Amino acid sequence: MSTRVVETWLQAPLQQFVEEARVTLALLLLPSGQVLAEHGFTRSLDVASACALAAAIHASGGELGRMLDGRPFSGLHHAGQDRQIFLAEARTPRATYIFLTVFDRESSLGLVRLYFDEFVARLAAAAPEGDMANDPVLAENFEHDLNRNLAALFGRA
Amino acid sequence: MTSPFQAMIESLMRLRGVSATMLVDEHEGMIIDAILQFGQDGDRVAALAASLYRKARLSASAAGLGGVTFMQLEAEQGRICAAGHEEMVLVVVAAPAANVGLMRVEMLKAVRGLA
Repeated sequence: MSTRVVETWLQAPLQQFVEEARVTLALLLLPSGQVLAEHGFTRSLDVASACALAAAIHASGGELGRMLDGRPFSGLHHAGQDRQIFLAEARTPRATYIFLTVFDRESSLGLVRLYFDEFVARLAAAAPEGDMANDPVLAENFEHDLNRNLAALFGRA
Repeated sequence: MTSPFQAMIESLMRLRGVSATMLVDEHEGMIIDAILQFGQDGDRVAALAASLYRKARLSASAAGLGGVTFMQLEAEQGRICAAGHEEMVLVVVAAPAANVGLMRVEMLKAVRGLA
């Protein structure tokens, strides 16, 4: 199963996370829903859907956390019968990302959390200079940027 | 708030050389209850030890050896012992000089108490 990235500096941290945590799917995206890297997906449509859902869950969880706890929830875990989902915020000096991963009995929540912390540290270390958080996401550019990133991952325009 | 496992964990911590005792969910690798000495990363040890124990159990089962009762990992500066019951794993971190025989007896006694 291959790991595909929009920017090359994301490759090594994501690849290492996937190998160590033994997850089946992984997705790194911006809070706006734009994909930056993925592992385990076979169709661009699945990535686009997963990104949209992950961004929506992250936004909802953040708001719910603010209502209940005065600050946004930064992580979510859902245990299905065979597969589990872990969704969390990956904060780096460059930007805040959303990270979604799916794992089965080959891994565990404890391992995923453990290697996720290391993944965030590697991401921060590998990130090029600059602050992506200052780049505004404009509605008129969103679809173009989304399609461009999907094309970069899956090789279709 | 004290958990129903606190007394069992405290009794294991009283053994000489023991620096951490954790009761961990085998499938999730998450701590259910624990006592750790200052400076130990319990979450990390728990996740890795539970994964190791689960794999040892699956290996033993695949080799037709039956269930794993006790697992010991020796390292340069200490040892990790694990004993499981149903979906819980009792993990003890100890110094190299700790009495493994006594630890084993006490851990097996403790996991029987989890039934």
